[in-house]
Amino acid sequence: MTTKLHLACCLGVLVPCLSLVSFYDVAASPVEAGSLPRVRLNAESIGPRRIEQKTGEMVARDYAQAWQDLADSLEANRTDLLNDHFAGGAKERLTQRISEQKKNGLRTRYVDHGHQVKAVFYSPDGGEMQLQDQAQIELQVFGGQKMIYTASTTSKYLVLMTPGADRWYVRSLETVPDDAF
Amino acid sequence: MPKVILTVPFSLMLLALPALGQSALRAPSSVSAGSSFSIATSGTGTAMLYLLGPSHVVKRAIELGQDLPIAGSDVVASGWYQAVACESGGCTSTTFQVLPSSPARLRFLVHPSRVPVSAPDAINATALVFDRFENTVLERTNVEFHFFSAAGSAFDRSVPTVRGIAWLQIGSTSKQGPLRVVASVGEAAEARIIQQVASEACGLRIQAISGPRTVKLQTDPVRDCGGNPLPDGTVVSFTKIDDAGRSTVDTPIRKGVASAQFAVSGRARISVACGVVLGNEISVNGERR
Repeated sequence: MTTKLHLACCLGVLVPCLSLVSFYDVAASPVEAGSLPRVRLNAESIGPRRIEQKTGEMVARDYAQAWQDLADSLEANRTDLLNDHFAGGAKERLTQRISEQKKNGLRTRYVDHGHQVKAVFYSPDGGEMQLQDQAQIELQVFGGQKMIYTASTTSKYLVLMTPGADRWYVRSLETVPDDAF
Repeated sequence: MPKVILTVPFSLMLLALPALGQSALRAPSSVSAGSSFSIATSGTGTAMLYLLGPSHVVKRAIELGQDLPIAGSDVVASGWYQAVACESGGCTSTTFQVLPSSPARLRFLVHPSRVPVSAPDAINATALVFDRFENTVLERTNVEFHFFSAAGSAFDRSVPTVRGIAWLQIGSTSKQGPLRVVASVGEAAEARIIQQVASEACGLRIQAISGPRTVKLQTDPVRDCGGNPLPDGTVVSFTKIDDAGRSTVDTPIRKGVASAQFAVSGRARISVACGVVLGNEISVNGERR
């Protein structure tokens, strides 16, 4: 798409170029979310409903914020930090994980090196959006002050987000096999 | 670096940690959610085992050199798990993957809850397929959608899931009444009801009974093009234009018809409308005031 755009612009084909730019903005939705974990959202192949640019920006921002909350809650062993961006099964699982690692004297640090996110499903009624996330994460597990495990991973996540009154919530966050997508 | 990523499962690179002398953990590369299995250990002495999963953390003392039974209840959430064994000399670890088990649950969403009859592609049905532990089933699975209309007709659609989701879009049927939609996978089934309501009015007509200075108006039974009566409460607008000017009365349908009464002065034209549909227009003559 980008190559086509450049080619069209270089040829000075103004009108087709402008229409392509407009299409690209809506379809590809490349969004960088502020100072939060780096989330790059590509909605080029989303369906069956197309995504609005604003919606893409909100999803990217809320997903990034969710990862920030996840990292903070797992490191501080605070389940209350999950309230703002998690719901349903994702929240229940993380709450249980935090409660149990706290009980066992553990904490987990996520050093987040960014997410390549592809939006793949957006239900016709706008009530569900499925994302594929390839995340670069450094995982450190501490028992007290001692690091007992560390690994640098490229993990793949299948994510289900649903809209709330003023934000998108992560409802499901599952690591999936490397060959899942 | 690419070679490391390719050869290490889960694209995972363990960083250096003080390791146990001769001990090691060995787990199967993958297990099914909820299934018990064993982690083999080597070495001697005791250690502390940590099993770290997406929703569960286990800590227990173990004897190295023995197989460690892991209960199915410790691996119900699908995803990557880390097993870490630590003793005073350091820690050693292994990772394994828990995969979703077979489809057992559905989350079923149907939109909208009310829909006009004969509307193409107006109904969206989305089914999300999970195993009994609420893990998304990634393997392609056929979801059967069954539709039962109030008129007695029934039809089915089979839709394969993609990444755990099956969805379809269909039109509403021609007769009003509840449309029952059932999604099923294996033993799991979820039902939803959509209320199909009459569409826009069709062939809207009024009759008039004229008096000297008034005219009483009543519609024929208001129905859509499929013969479905529009529900009581639907607003019908009567508009009169005569010497006195323009006047409109909005009145709800009661018992299938709408009625109104106007005072008329001289020759008057009266029309009727319901929603976006215009009905017939009639002329009446009233006494001039």
